[in-house]
Amino acid sequence: MKIDDFLYELKETLEIEDVELNEETNLKELEEYDSLSVLSIIAMIDENFGKRISGQDFQSITTIGSLMELIGMENFE
Amino acid sequence: MNNQFSLENKNIIITGASSGIGRQCAISCSQIGANIILVDINKEGMDKTLSLMQTANHVCFHKDITKHDTIETLIKIATSKLGKINGFVHSAGIEKTLPLKMMKPEIYRELFDVNVISGYEIAKIISNKKYSNSGASFVFIASIMGILGQSGKVGYCSSKSALIGGMKAMALELANKNIRVNCISPAIVETEMTKKLFENIPIDSKKEIIKMHPLGFGKPEDVANACVYLLSDASKWITGSNLIVDGGYSAR
Repeated sequence: MKIDDFLYELKETLEIEDVELNEETNLKELEEYDSLSVLSIIAMIDENFGKRISGQDFQSITTIGSLMELIGMENFE
Repeated sequence: MNNQFSLENKNIIITGASSGIGRQCAISCSQIGANIILVDINKEGMDKTLSLMQTANHVCFHKDITKHDTIETLIKIATSKLGKINGFVHSAGIEKTLPLKMMKPEIYRELFDVNVISGYEIAKIISNKKYSNSGASFVFIASIMGILGQSGKVGYCSSKSALIGGMKAMALELANKNIRVNCISPAIVETEMTKKLFENIPIDSKKEIIKMHPLGFGKPEDVANACVYLLSDASKWITGSNLIVDGGYSAR
């Protein structure tokens, strides 16, 4: 997946309208971030990458870049 | 005195017998004298359950209960071996925690298919006089989530709520055959299913959920004990009820 497409999917999942996301963005500092949005992100990743990330794995996530590393950088172009 | 709490020589069919609450129901019922017909899609788990049960004339069926047209054959085989059915426990169930916006029609369908429809289809077949004895008891394992809501559980809550609703209609409909129909609604019980659930949610949420159970999380036997009661003749005047077994969760 192209990184831009992934950022778009994330914005859609979190319903972010007025903030631009990039790999440096800290997910947990976003206003839209909460425990339920984590479940949405996990489902979005499962759907797009066929990869199951647990809630525990998510604890270590900070930036969008770190989430991409968890998914596996080989999945991005 | 004749022990009304006994399940001596009763034939009881249990779905979801390969793990968790279903497994414990099979074990507990066997310990007080019942013959169990175990049905589950997971053979390995079912064999494990069987090894933990008190020996009697148990029968195992490795079946997908959502393949509805195969169920009657199974019931026929079971009743030809053991005799008519005295009890049915629908414990097979799946859980999904997913925000509304990520839900899809096929996810609702899967939840309803396993949690509700497959249980009702089995009840339909065994309620036939050919297959069940007067005084039979059906128990559907619902959930406290069928009464109370929780975010991320629109699919699961609606399926368990449906199970409770249909149970009442079924209780009225089958009363003239002297078949009793009830639900048990547990809060969180420590099983493989809930373990998996907790792997998918943040640790903070887990702590919050534990706090919501005044007596802590339940053990499978806490639900199985209630199930034994509803299957036994001791509960012969109880039908159409939803027995809440939740460690105080819903008392708040």
